[in-house]
Amino acid sequence: MVFPTVEFAVFFPLVLALSWALMSRPHVWKPVILALSYVFYSAANPKFCLLIAGVTLGNQAAATLIERADSEKAKSRFAAAAVALDLLVLGIFKYYGFFVEEVEGVLDSVGLGMGLPLATIALPIGLSFFTFQAISYVVDVRRGICDRGSTIDVALYLSFFPHLVAGPIVRAREFLPQLATPRNPRDVAVGSGVFLICLGLVKKVVIADLLARELVDPVFAVPEAYGTADTMLALYGYAAQIYCDFSGYTDIAIGLALLMGFIFPRNFDRPYSSTSFREFWRRWHMTLSRFLRDFIYIPLGGNQKGRFNTYRNLMITMVLGGLWHGAAWGFVLWGFIHGAALAIERLVDGRIKAPKWVAWAFVFHVVAFAWVFFRAPDFGTAGAIFEGIFRGGSATLFEPVVVIAIIAAIGFQLLPERPIVALRHRFEALNPVALGAGLALTIIIVGSTIPGGAVPPFIYFQF
Amino acid sequence: MSGMAPPPPPRGRHLTARDALYVVGIVVFLLVILTGGSVRHAGQEMSKGWERTLVLAVGEPAGWISDQLPLEDLVADATDPLKSGDDLGGGSGGFDDTGAAATDTGVIGVTPDAFDRAALGQEPVAPPRPLETVLVTGDSMSLILDAELARRFAGSDVEVVRDPRVGTGLTKSDIVDWGKLSVSQVGKHAPDAIVVAIGANEGFPLKYAGKEFDCCGPEWAAAYATRARTLMNTFRQAGEARVYWLLLPAPRDPDRQRITRVVNAADAVAATAYGAHVRTLDMSAIFTPEFEYSDAVEVDGEEKLVRQADGIHLNQAGNVIAADEVVEAMRSDYGDQVPTG
Repeated sequence: MVFPTVEFAVFFPLVLALSWALMSRPHVWKPVILALSYVFYSAANPKFCLLIAGVTLGNQAAATLIERADSEKAKSRFAAAAVALDLLVLGIFKYYGFFVEEVEGVLDSVGLGMGLPLATIALPIGLSFFTFQAISYVVDVRRGICDRGSTIDVALYLSFFPHLVAGPIVRAREFLPQLATPRNPRDVAVGSGVFLICLGLVKKVVIADLLARELVDPVFAVPEAYGTADTMLALYGYAAQIYCDFSGYTDIAIGLALLMGFIFPRNFDRPYSSTSFREFWRRWHMTLSRFLRDFIYIPLGGNQKGRFNTYRNLMITMVLGGLWHGAAWGFVLWGFIHGAALAIERLVDGRIKAPKWVAWAFVFHVVAFAWVFFRAPDFGTAGAIFEGIFRGGSATLFEPVVVIAIIAAIGFQLLPERPIVALRHRFEALNPVALGAGLALTIIIVGSTIPGGAVPPFIYFQF
Repeated sequence: MSGMAPPPPPRGRHLTARDALYVVGIVVFLLVILTGGSVRHAGQEMSKGWERTLVLAVGEPAGWISDQLPLEDLVADATDPLKSGDDLGGGSGGFDDTGAAATDTGVIGVTPDAFDRAALGQEPVAPPRPLETVLVTGDSMSLILDAELARRFAGSDVEVVRDPRVGTGLTKSDIVDWGKLSVSQVGKHAPDAIVVAIGANEGFPLKYAGKEFDCCGPEWAAAYATRARTLMNTFRQAGEARVYWLLLPAPRDPDRQRITRVVNAADAVAATAYGAHVRTLDMSAIFTPEFEYSDAVEVDGEEKLVRQADGIHLNQAGNVIAADEVVEAMRSDYGDQVPTG
């Protein structure tokens, strides 16, 4: 089930009403919300519910064994087994086809092709998100920074529908305490929730889908047909599209959770205002960044083992971060570019003094150019896009509405935060009638911009 | 435990759970009176299953309420300038929804247009117009294929117009009436060749001889074939253009498979009237021989993944193969005007 659909618009009010009606009775609330989360997930494919249930039980079993184990060695062994299980699930469902094709290619090239068994395994949506959450749970229990939760709490943590399919990646130690006591019905951030839902809808349906339809998809489909102006516009357009698409999804997810009384961590903080790559990764997909930091970069040694090892750790972390997005070399190269940028930035730290706007322009353009590898289906297409930058030719895709959408998506991030926050607080302070009317009006206006009545899936659903 | 802490709550005014329900209640109330009919339409257009049941359970009464009020039309007029896509409102060529049987009781006449000259052992005649514009259209099955064909023609003098309509179908006229859309497409682009891949969203009830039939009996197939034939007739432009109509590979899901089998059969029957101008390209024979679902096919002795994870669509590699078939068929009509690469 996708958020901006009629199905969800019918589903959510019923769930919200039921949730608050049962909130004071956690022994009823938990199984009901768990069941409804599975119903939400089963809309994609009911069989996937078995997978998430299996991941839940496997990790909960490991957490229980870790808690009961006498020795540190045994605890580590159980944690490692659970992580291996999660990675195996990821590997089978997400990387098997890619791995087989690549190995086949290598074997073929040395004359040893042997026809490895190839089978397509449907990729369960949200797999990367809930397996990462499962890993964070077990490892945090092992590290002693998170209590083992009850099985139903852990099941709810992994499957809670607002964050199930595309994050944000909520840590168990952030979510489980919220299940310990019923949410306070007298303290609900209704205004913030409604504001984020409205904002997310506009970002996704109005801006991201418009840019995809009118600009980005045509250029990336046939890059040979477009010249410098169109290609550059598409480059900026995709930077704006992916931000609006993904942050729009998490805005809606966070907003829905707020209406249910739950608080998720922030996932985006004006990433295109960054003047360094380190800052960019503190602002972009923040819950993934901290996961990569806490579960890959720091365990590798972080910046504590000398310069060379720091650069190496950055590269490994970012390449694995790239690979997390999908089984394709484009994602690997995208991660590599960011890893290299972070390493080089650290290398030259303090040696180059550039005006702030130069630093901003440099970081923004490297990020925007790196997105080409993220978006292009193969290196050939990416190469054709870069060729297009130097091809000359007239602009054919310059529509005022497209340019305005790009400027709005990127430009708003560069504006001073205070007046925007003040405006937001004024919206959030509206009374319930005005908030309801505002949300209804937003849904109607946003809905009227959808061509053919269908909202394309969120980009991050595929991850 | 010291590390156990939820993120800080958002600043700004906090209300109560009752207020949250008021807000959502107001949203629901406004959407029901302003757009209730749309909810009902959306439900009617959904595939069978619990989601459709849920949406219709709300949509039917919401639609009834909305029907009693004049507000939905006002909203539609007010938001009209924001709408994307073609305005087909007053267009001609829409599907006949009365379900009239195709002809009277007499024998249906056969015209020379039904025969492909090559099949009669005669010299093929080149299409009357040179190939200048190719239209690639259909539902989501035409996505990727459109890009792949555009790639093949890049650098040539032939313009490829890509116009996939995701989520649409010949049995879903509420979103897009393909009868009208095809007329609009021909009027707008005057394509010389039209590549059509459609059929992934079908299975909704159709009328035949004034009665409504669920998928997938002979009456439903006849009604579907009539719609497909209407499109083919529009696209062939009285023989001025050539149509390349893809019959779809079997999907993985058994329910969808049942529908696709009938859709393919209906398309094949529809095309028989225009054998001179409409080519059916059987993707099922290539990707799912015997109509048995498969993820991969053998290409140059190598097993290659050709389907997307949804078990419906072809992936990039599959669409490359499909594009090869289309290009080969086009070359038999247009010769060297169609690039080989």
